[in-house]
Amino acid sequence: MEAARRDPSQFDALYRRYLAQVYSFAYYELGDHHAAEDATERTFLSALANIHRFEERARPADGEGASTFRVWLFRIARNAIANQRRTVRRRPTAPIEAAAIVADPLDVEGDAVRREEGSAAWLAVGRQPTDRRRALILRFVDEMSTAEIAGVMGRSEGAIRVLIHRALRSVGRDLRGRSR
Amino acid sequence: MTFLGRDALEVDALVTDRYLESLLAGHAPVAGHAPMAGHAPVPGDGRGGAMLDGEVRFAAHRLGLDLPHFYPSFRFEERLGRRLADLAASLRFPAAAGAEGVVIPLGGIGRGGVDPATADLLAGLAGFDDPRRPGRPLLIGGAITSAALSLAGVAWVAWRRNHPAASRMARAVRAVNAARAVSAARAVSAARARLD
Repeated sequence: MEAARRDPSQFDALYRRYLAQVYSFAYYELGDHHAAEDATERTFLSALANIHRFEERARPADGEGASTFRVWLFRIARNAIANQRRTVRRRPTAPIEAAAIVADPLDVEGDAVRREEGSAAWLAVGRQPTDRRRALILRFVDEMSTAEIAGVMGRSEGAIRVLIHRALRSVGRDLRGRSR
Repeated sequence: MTFLGRDALEVDALVTDRYLESLLAGHAPVAGHAPMAGHAPVPGDGRGGAMLDGEVRFAAHRLGLDLPHFYPSFRFEERLGRRLADLAASLRFPAAAGAEGVVIPLGGIGRGGVDPATADLLAGLAGFDDPRRPGRPLLIGGAITSAALSLAGVAWVAWRRNHPAASRMARAVRAVNAARAVSAARAVSAARARLD
């Protein structure tokens, strides 16, 4: 991170590390491959152009290598996605078949089950209000900690914990209700 | 919601958070099978008494297992990588050219380095910020400095031409200087006419 601040050409390592995470977040939010690519592109271009403004907030007590860069990057991504959504005016309703899911080509039956379950889970998450959906994606797909999600969404950790708890209860009821 | 209700919700949310930490770190049992409804103890929770909501546990397992990760196309990744490399290269050159520059707060100059009379004078000039006010940082170094100083010179000359001097002696000196300039211009014109 420090290397990238001193020399922008070092940004490539950060780009390779976080590209899939940012793209995944954008894809879940926008539900469209091209829109997700546009938002991802804007996110990284903006991050590189403004990297001199990034301030490391991690403390030594947070552990070696701890960094708030991912939180900063995802805040940029959140804004880029909001702008993209204003442009395309879409909801994340794309069928999961549209996405390239890596599965075992020999396990056709298992693949079909995974697709069905994945689709149900995705749709259940997609039916949640925006804040809940976003928190769940950051937690389960990007595997962020509560503190990181709080940083991205601009809320307290306690508020994020309650948000995720309620979202999970709601998704659980939804999934059970539809499987009966 | 009552205080007690809110406290209970926050405790439940904390228990859920601990469970998710454990689940996503791979420590919680991934039964592969959706846990049944009801409450269950949180794995790895040293307190032993915390109970996890059955719906939450069920949903957490499903989302942890079923939500896919998406990847952009290789073509997109490489194209954006090239754009970022170009942008990074363009960001490096200005930094190298201006590396010797220093940032001087203009307001700081006004407070300590400019006498009140000069401050009044500059404050009266169109296009100048009042140096007594906190100003924006001024980058000294490179083309910006030259342009800023040139503009300051032009503004100073324009102001002097439009504001007559206060004393008789000063007006006399200006008149002599103006007469010298006019006679020099006439001499140059005459010389050119002879050459033509």
